[in-house]
Amino acid sequence: MGRTISYLQALNEAMAEEMRRDPAVFILGEDVRMGAFGQTSGLVNEFGAERLVNTPIAENAITGVAMGAAMFGLRPVLELMFCDFAMLAMDELCNQLGQWRYVSGGQYSIPVTIRTATGGGFRMGYGHSQCLESQIFQAPGLILVEPSTPYDAKGLLKSAIRSNDPVLFFEHKKLILGGVMGEVPEEEYTIPFGEAVIRKEGKDATVAALGFMVYEALTAAAELAKEGIDIEVIDLRTIVPLDKNTIFKSVEKTGRLVTVEEGRIRGGIGAELAALAVSEYFDLLDAPVQRVAAPMVPIGGSAVLEDMYMPNKNSVIAAVKKTL
Amino acid sequence: MEKETLLNLYRKMLMVRFIEKTHERLLMEGKIQLMSHFGTGQEAVAIGVTGPLRKEDILFGTHRGVGEYIGKGMSAADIWHEYMGKRTGLSKGKGTLHLTDKNLNIPFVVSSLGSDFSISVGAALASKMKKTDQVTMDFFGEGTCNQADFHPAINMAAVWKLPIVFAVCTNHFCEMSYYTEYYPTEDVAIRAKGYAVPFEIVDGNDIEAAYDATERAVNHARSGKGPYLVEYKTFRMSLHFSGDPGGYVKQEDFDYWAQRDPIDLCQKKLFERKILSPEEDKKLRAEVQAEVDAAVESALKGPDPTPEDFISDIYEQTGVL
Repeated sequence: MGRTISYLQALNEAMAEEMRRDPAVFILGEDVRMGAFGQTSGLVNEFGAERLVNTPIAENAITGVAMGAAMFGLRPVLELMFCDFAMLAMDELCNQLGQWRYVSGGQYSIPVTIRTATGGGFRMGYGHSQCLESQIFQAPGLILVEPSTPYDAKGLLKSAIRSNDPVLFFEHKKLILGGVMGEVPEEEYTIPFGEAVIRKEGKDATVAALGFMVYEALTAAAELAKEGIDIEVIDLRTIVPLDKNTIFKSVEKTGRLVTVEEGRIRGGIGAELAALAVSEYFDLLDAPVQRVAAPMVPIGGSAVLEDMYMPNKNSVIAAVKKTL
Repeated sequence: MEKETLLNLYRKMLMVRFIEKTHERLLMEGKIQLMSHFGTGQEAVAIGVTGPLRKEDILFGTHRGVGEYIGKGMSAADIWHEYMGKRTGLSKGKGTLHLTDKNLNIPFVVSSLGSDFSISVGAALASKMKKTDQVTMDFFGEGTCNQADFHPAINMAAVWKLPIVFAVCTNHFCEMSYYTEYYPTEDVAIRAKGYAVPFEIVDGNDIEAAYDATERAVNHARSGKGPYLVEYKTFRMSLHFSGDPGGYVKQEDFDYWAQRDPIDLCQKKLFERKILSPEEDKKLRAEVQAEVDAAVESALKGPDPTPEDFISDIYEQTGVL
């Protein structure tokens, strides 16, 4: 039975259902009882203050707290309010979280889910607007997830909470605050990691997009269609593990690859996809890979400056045309 | 203190000293490459900090020597198989100095000092939420106590009244400098005051004093009264790490503390109280050294990790993502 709910509600439902299912699941973070953007709002009424732990403002330390609790039998869902603030937790995220399973020889697993809000467009300035997935992309032992629809948000968050591996879960602010709606079944479901989705089939070029950029890519696809250009849009959904096969199959058909992300271009997710294409199926490419991403510029507070910074449908259209 | 208890603590201190001295010798002979940070002279702290812990209590220890790991129940063989990077080690050789033993609730030894302040608070939070009566022991040096995360960690422990003990080993050195260079106060423990956490300062070279202070702290934490901090004063007689050229330790300090060696002090008590005779002591020492040597021999023969080990334990399912 389908019904239409918001991205925000999908996240909220996923957490509520998992907390009902498993008493080891609890939520912690800054002001989670209230819910900074509303993802966790109302949960305290059902689950009580003990399972919604408000923490001091100390990102590295609360990440460590989540990790320690996970090692001793709980399943914490930690909210780091902005991914910009997650940079304060880089020691726990990149040195500890994904490595202790390995270095303990598999003695400990660390079932932590860390949710964090990414992205710009709200004129919040340099330190509340970035997409910093690629900063964490290099750390081993982590799962990185970035859903673009309410359906995926719910299914992937449930999988994250059930996973025995640490998961970073990126939520774009345009999706949580922008009231993005989508069909979500009443029935229980989960979505496995590592499966991209083709949002629009096409034959002329493959556009692999991440998170909110999927919508910019789809808008670009509609405009390009008017010019008779038929692109395929892939929604990556998870960055680690990466669904290399879906991208490969698509490029096999189109011979062209454009990557689209809102994060900065240098060493970004697109750089990895381009490197994979060049090293693994160079012979399939009929044109150089194009990367759509933000420039190596801080995000200015002025709306004019932020708009100059932000990749959008026009950048996608321009990049696609370069490959044709 | 009970005779048996004191004798047992003494044996453990000998085990710690002998493992570390053996490690030093193997390094000098070129038989192993694994560098280390020895804790000579502070054995009574490590053994005193862990002595009153139960098996189910959780220990976050230090990188300095093997004291608290022996204290919590690891054997010489556990340590050597892991130190030598063998797949028969506790962590299949993936940890070496980062000793971990889930059965003893010893989660990990971190590289970046202080990363475990908050992780230990998380462990204590889990114990409280699950209503177990476990205590978490977070043991660290005064050098590490200058890491930023000490503050939010002890703060959260105090605010949430968690069953955790913060144990500071003030061994006079932060790596290769006297700690006074980095502290505006002589005592570290008074930092606890700012978080309304009770604390005490104790002679870390007297095993009985160290043990008793830990026991008070652990009982406090276990009874639900929240965290407690103990500062153990001692002196690191070894250098920061096995390749440290030294030259920064004042001779008069070294000479003063050499007279206060914790193993010698404990031996004196055992002799005075007729718990141990010099002959029995000689026999005990030979026995402990033999146990260390046998562990080294067996570890040297242990199997190396395999290519399958290389790509397992990254995620729950074997393989690289």
